[in-house]
Amino acid sequence: MSVTLKQTALQSAAPQWQARWLALPLAFAVLAGLAPMLSDYALEIGFRILLLVTLAEAWNLLAGYGGLVSLGTAAFFGIGAYALTGLVNKLGAPLAVALPLAGVCSALLALAVSRAVFRLRGLYFTVGTLALAEATRLFMINYNGFGGATGLFLSQDPPGLRALYLIALGLLAFTTAVMTVATRSRFSILLRAVRDDEDAAAQIGVRPFRIKLIVFVLASFLMGVAGALQGLKLGAIEPYGMFGIQWTVNVLSIVIIGGQGLRAGPLVGAIFVVGLSELLADYPAVHLALTGVILIIVIRFAPQGLVGLVQAWLAVKAQEAS
Amino acid sequence: MSDMRLPIVEATPLLRANGLVKRFGGVVATDKVSLTVARGEVLGIIGPNGAGKSTLIGLLGGALTPSEGTVEFDGVDVSGWQAAERARRGIGRTYQIPRPFLDMTVRENLLAARFSLHPFDPRARAHEACDRILERTGLADAAHLSARALPLLRRKRLEVARALALNPKLLLLDEVGAGLVDAEVSELIELIQSLRRDVEGIVIIEHVLRVVRECCERLVVLNFGRTLAQGLTADVLASDEVAAVYLGTAQDRSKSPPAADKSTVAAPVANALSALVTQSPTRADTHPLLELRDIHAGYGQARVLNGVDLTVRAGQVIAILGTNGAGKTTLAKVISGAIRPTAGQMRVDGADVTRSPAHEIARLGLSQCMEGRRIFATLSVEENLLLAARGIAAPERAQRLDHVYALFHDLKERRSISGTSMSGGQQQMLAIGRALMSRPRLVLFDEISLGLAPVVMDRLYDALAELRRAGLTMLIVEQDVERALALADEVHVMEHGRIALSGTARAIRDDPRLRHLYIGTAD
Repeated sequence: MSVTLKQTALQSAAPQWQARWLALPLAFAVLAGLAPMLSDYALEIGFRILLLVTLAEAWNLLAGYGGLVSLGTAAFFGIGAYALTGLVNKLGAPLAVALPLAGVCSALLALAVSRAVFRLRGLYFTVGTLALAEATRLFMINYNGFGGATGLFLSQDPPGLRALYLIALGLLAFTTAVMTVATRSRFSILLRAVRDDEDAAAQIGVRPFRIKLIVFVLASFLMGVAGALQGLKLGAIEPYGMFGIQWTVNVLSIVIIGGQGLRAGPLVGAIFVVGLSELLADYPAVHLALTGVILIIVIRFAPQGLVGLVQAWLAVKAQEAS
Repeated sequence: MSDMRLPIVEATPLLRANGLVKRFGGVVATDKVSLTVARGEVLGIIGPNGAGKSTLIGLLGGALTPSEGTVEFDGVDVSGWQAAERARRGIGRTYQIPRPFLDMTVRENLLAARFSLHPFDPRARAHEACDRILERTGLADAAHLSARALPLLRRKRLEVARALALNPKLLLLDEVGAGLVDAEVSELIELIQSLRRDVEGIVIIEHVLRVVRECCERLVVLNFGRTLAQGLTADVLASDEVAAVYLGTAQDRSKSPPAADKSTVAAPVANALSALVTQSPTRADTHPLLELRDIHAGYGQARVLNGVDLTVRAGQVIAILGTNGAGKTTLAKVISGAIRPTAGQMRVDGADVTRSPAHEIARLGLSQCMEGRRIFATLSVEENLLLAARGIAAPERAQRLDHVYALFHDLKERRSISGTSMSGGQQQMLAIGRALMSRPRLVLFDEISLGLAPVVMDRLYDALAELRRAGLTMLIVEQDVERALALADEVHVMEHGRIALSGTARAIRDDPRLRHLYIGTAD
């Protein structure tokens, strides 16, 4: 009897799987196809959402799936932006090479600090990464080799808004693919095992350091490319903006509002946060206060974020129906 | 890490520990312990709580690095190896307090072990291998459930299943039998016996003597971190020395008088106890202290209690027996107000408290000694105790504290250390003491003997007998039928969320239906 149950479960799951496989590429194709029709304002907002979703996905991979709650987003984001500027200015690297290489630079930073930060667990890891972000920011401000506090200019003109939008879309597509592999494959089982109980995972042969390093490097790479893209868009970078804590905080609030450890969380959260900031663009003080209030409410009443709330509601509906 | 593996000759034991020492700060938890596990052997490690048994498992499994000494596994010195490397080499362990990956399904818990060893195993084969283990350990029906949904005892099974998914050569089982009724113990013994074919050696830490007696060829007895005795199982269990530090009356319980009949309590202790017990007001004569009528309760979709009726009068000692999953702990949770019944009524002194939150029920004088002790780890022993007597005048509070210390001397000596750094038996004393600090009228003791050495159980049940004499009303949920029957006036046996059998302790003891409910009660 259990065998028949299993079979029906598989059969009903199969079409869903196919639908999901098709839906994502289709969505990306539509977003890309829309590009020529969008106004500058829409492209601007679209770029921002895409960039933030990328960052949030990367952070979600670390924190939601890997249990590595990092406050070091800004460090990897900033390094990416500086690496891109250096690669383009000094070596004249084409963008197609410079963007991924900028991500590699961030990944190398992650690799370099991994031994130190992985010695810290839980909250201590969080504080450690925050210290890392602050340290890199202060270094960039005070060290004159990379333009010091005034920053650097990109020697070539940044590409147009439409091109940037498409690059950001491409980056998100890549991020989504990475996330799908990391959260659906057998690697995700090892990752979640390490998240739930590192010691117990080690006792069944999982090497926690290796697993954590893989996601840390992967997430840092994505954050680095995102930073490079932001640097490319601005054409001029300075340490206060690129290494600013607001990147870290924005990403955090997006994931919390959207839903931690849930696939749709970052997208919903980013749309919500960007939408709110646009609505209240003329009232910056109100915007900040309101974001704070919303965060408190979400943490208190919907720990799984907006997506979690909808899921719970759908589950209740489904139960009522049956 | 030498890759030069020694040629394995016949004589190489599967595991050899030489002079293992583990110090935590100034405390020596393991002191020069040496042992070997031969291929095909099942070795038992017994000893009182706090003797360093779990530390030893940690040292063998790699969770802890020894301060001195070596561990050789399969002819290779693995002393410096990380836990993960030892696991990959073939050492599987379970945790005494289960540590499943809570937010993963049961099958995924096993797959983690499988995929860490064979990352490129075909999916179907990995699933099949895991399902086979789940089938064997009786978890097949739970494969899709999240591990969080499993109750304690099924989590223990998951511990074993997860260790087996590693396909280990050596299996370290840390108290997997705790809390099982006889029928389940028989199942466990059968499982261990069947594992002999798949595993080259097993090390068992266990307080359930039947498991030790029927599974282990040899025993090592630890006491204060040292090896007290070592030898063939029958010889060790027969030794007087072991009986003194560990077995207590467990060996010949039939001969010893029931704990409740002992009447040698020092007068000050007796006085101290009556000061901790609130005698019920006279109107309790008209109304029972606690009354449950047709209680239904459960967790979400799962119905656990299907109409329980129970009446507790002041001064009574009532034991609730039943197999695991019968609903005993759920009943305890309903009484404490931790979960609300979906139907039925609960009355205290005739007043309806069915919908009352837990703190209001506690204020009526109902106190709980919860399963799993629930000691606050960040608080000291004394703080744990005082917590239960908040809002009481300081002199009165100090007095109650003294009374609890008079009952359990161990606690007084350890008053300022963290509550969870004590041995299991002392923690259970703390949990009992904490339940008494509120000067309750009724205390519910839920599985207080779980995971304790027989000699410690003796002490706890002596304390309960003293409390009974002091007039405390008690509800005792217990797996150890003999101990419960010896103490209780009235016994209820639960089955499938209902009370299937009730009567006086004397009548129930001879009732064939009790035997029937606990199939396998051989001796």
